[in-house]
Parts: sequence; C-alpha cells; structure tokens
Amino acid sequence: MSNSHLFLPSGFIRTPLQNGLGRYIPQLQRITLKFCKSHGGSRGVRDFIESDLMEFAKTNPGTVVYLKPRRHRSPCMVAEYLNGEREYLSCHEFSRDEVYKWLSYMCTRSGIPVMRFRKYQHTDYPTIQGVWNPFTHQAPEINVAEFPHEVLSKPNDQGPTATEQLIEIFKKTQMEDPANKPPN
Amino acid sequence: MKRNFKAHWVAPTLREFKRRKVIEEDRSGGPKIFHRSTFLEWNYDAEIFAFSNRLGEKFDDSSLRAALTHKSYIEREKARLSDIGLDSNLHFQDNEALSQKGGEMMSKFINGYLRAVFTQVPEELISAMHDFLTSNSTLETVAKHIGLGDLMLCADFPCKTETYVKSFKAIIAALAESSGEERARIFVQDLVVTQLYGQDVNELWNPVDPVGNLAAILKREGKAEPEFRLIRQAGSNSILAVYYVGVYSDKHFISEGAGESLEIAKEMAAREALKKFFHTEDSMRALPFGRQLKNIQSKIEQLENQPNLPFSEWISEKVMSAVH
Repeated sequence: MSNSHLFLPSGFIRTPLQNGLGRYIPQLQRITLKFCKSHGGSRGVRDFIESDLMEFAKTNPGTVVYLKPRRHRSPCMVAEYLNGEREYLSCHEFSRDEVYKWLSYMCTRSGIPVMRFRKYQHTDYPTIQGVWNPFTHQAPEINVAEFPHEVLSKPNDQGPTATEQLIEIFKKTQMEDPANKPPN
Repeated sequence: MKRNFKAHWVAPTLREFKRRKVIEEDRSGGPKIFHRSTFLEWNYDAEIFAFSNRLGEKFDDSSLRAALTHKSYIEREKARLSDIGLDSNLHFQDNEALSQKGGEMMSKFINGYLRAVFTQVPEELISAMHDFLTSNSTLETVAKHIGLGDLMLCADFPCKTETYVKSFKAIIAALAESSGEERARIFVQDLVVTQLYGQDVNELWNPVDPVGNLAAILKREGKAEPEFRLIRQAGSNSILAVYYVGVYSDKHFISEGAGESLEIAKEMAAREALKKFFHTEDSMRALPFGRQLKNIQSKIEQLENQPNLPFSEWISEKVMSAVH
C-alpha cells in the first residue's frame, strides 16, 4: 500500500505560458549528466554517451546538454526547465536503454511538479450557452400569472393520460369507418 | 536503517546550524542565490544556440548578443577593467536602440491582431487590451518562461522587471532584423498575444455610463430608444434578492442583465447589450492562433495603422463583419 496519493499534491492540468496555443516550445532548458569515468555504476551512462547522446542532442536542439565527469560519485541527471524547476534523477546502475528512456521522459515534461490530476481536461471558457439558473426555460407568463393557473400549475412533462389516449384511439377508429364517408 | 538516520548526539549541532542559518538569511533577506553562469557547467554559446532553436527562429548572432547585453553590464565591465588597469576598449553593443524599436514593433503587431480579430470593438477596448498585453508584468512572465533570465548580461541580480522587459523587446527587434518583419509578427502573436487567452476582455475596460451610451448608440443607428423592463425577480424582501431586467428597443429584445437591486440589474442589462454589439460576450468565438491566422495575416498587417471606431462614434453599420 503506497501513501504517495496522500501527500502528492493535486491540481488541474495546466501548461506554462499557454504553450502550444501559438507555438510549441520544448520546456527542457538544459540537462546535466554527471557520471564517473571508471566506476561500474556509471557504465550505462557512459555507453549512452558514446552511442546515443549525439542523436539525442541533434533531435533536441533547444536543450543544452552538459556532461560532468565526477570521480567516485554515482551517476545522476539533473534537468532544468524553463519555469525554473529542477528534476534530479539518480542513474546508478542504469542500463543504456534505461538512461535513454528516462532522458526522453525528462524531455516530455514541463517543469510543473508531479501532481495528481483532478481532471484530464481544462478550459478557461466552461460555458457557451450560459450556466443554468432557475429562471432558464421558464415561461415568461409566470410573471403575470395568477396561481392556481390551469396550464402553469400542472407539471409540464405529464403527457396524455390513459383516458385521453383511449379517447384519441376511439376518434381515429371513428374517422376510418366507411359508413361515415360522404357518398361520392 | 533509514537513509536519513542520524545519531542522537548530532541533533544539538544541527539545531545550532539551523539557528545560525535562519539568522543569516533573515539578515540578508532570503537564501543565497547564484546566477547560472557561476556554475562549472555553463557554455554561453551553446545556451544562445539552444535559445534560438527552442523558439524555432533563426537569429543573427551579433543582433542576438546585442539584444541580450545591457548598458549596466558594459559599464560594470569597463569599470572592472579600468580598476585592474587594463585598456577598456570593449566592442560590446547594448540593447537600448533595439529595445526601443522592438517595443514599437510589438505595439504595432498587437494592435494589428486585436483590430483584425475584434472588428466590432471600439478603439478604447483595443487600447485597454493592448495595455494589458504590453504591461510589465505580462512581458516579464513571458521573458522568464522563454529562458531569458540566464542569458541576459546585466549588472543586477536578481534581474529587475525592466531588464526582462527591455531584453524581450530587443529580442523582437533582433528577430525582425535577422528573419524579417513577418517572422517577428508571428513571434509576437504566438508569445505575447496568447496571454490574452483565458482573460475576460470585459474586465479590462468598461464604459462609464452604459445606459446613456446604449441610448446614444441606438439613437445614432436610428432605432427606438432602449426600454428597460423587469423580467424576473425573486426574494425581493431578502438579502439574496435577484432582479432580471431586459432591454428592449421597439419591442425587440436586445439583452438581459441580473443584479441584487433594480439599478444594478439595469446597468448589467445595458452592459450585456453593449457586449452583444461588440461581440465580446462570454459565448464569443475563441481567439485564433497559430495556423488559424494564416489567412488573415495580410488583414492584420493592413489594420496595424488603422484604428477602430472610438466609442463616442460607434455605430454597427460602420464596423466590418467578422473576419475569421
């Protein structure tokens, strides 16, 4: 049983600076990969740097990539976003693919802290036709009506009663009776 | 053992550290902050390259660097070099001229967009929206979220609002110099005008006497004068009274408004009527951005120098039909 849902802040989905409305600006400003040149825990990071890093940097030209070799320290990556937030992730004993996976995860985030989304939609214009109030769809006649009123006092969704329906059926059969047709 | 386990005899030392840190921070007004360029991992050229790619624009290197350099920085560097005793013949160009030019261009582009999208609206509301978009707080937010905070060369840290605003305006001028005015226009539309999204336009400007102005407009159009009638009411003896007043002109319904008293409801009804004329009701069409603007860019350019009708002369026959 996790308790992350208890302390995880919750909020509505949002984006910094109306990103995407005009143009999409990738929110990852810079990413720093810190690793050790010889220790085994940094092997995945070193392999990633040798093979996949150039391609990553070419596909994300809006992100600055810094490499910081540090002796006798476990590897980590620190992502900095345009809204000033920082994300730290330890990459100790990651494989090359894992490093690539988490790096692309950092790319897709905006700097807004991880939170539980209360709703997966957000709108600034929640109503077009106007919010319902008790006066919506009320007949204006109620302003000058004297109650009890023969139309307005009754429920407006009643429909024909059983007696009225029987009378309607009888009237229809009456009309179809050939004896009632005028002689040609 | 938990990761943050510390033996009990460490506690008094840590408590003393914390006490001293709090005193120090209170004295200096907040925790210590360092500019990003003081870090070991910092490459200004790479940051500038990333900045232009992030926005999807091509900048001339010299224009961009000039746009990010402030007069205060140049003066500080000159003073520092002359203190050491070196010759201070720096070839830095500051962003004063660029910022001036960029500010004018930005105002022009914003006005063009607003007049092309809000065709029925009087000029007073256009300038209210323009003032909101070009206010220091809006531009500072935009500048911070593009990443200008780390790139600007200025003497003040943390950077002041005016510094951010100046840099942002200079960036617009630098973009116009590098890639042309068309790209600069799209840039302003995508970054500055989008800040209008979600903002209720009627909160920015409201005519002073809506009832009188409504009567004046109807008179100018040759229609009958507005007649206010009570449509609904509830709870008139209580605190939570509500009155709905409708505006009619020659027995045709124009709009209705609600309020806690009859006078308020009447004013709200007149305001709703004006909103209806200007097409700025809550149900108005969404503002166009991005690809939706492709067809009306020429119209926007045309209207940059052509103000809308002022409120005192507003009449519905004179305003164009909606463009988008």
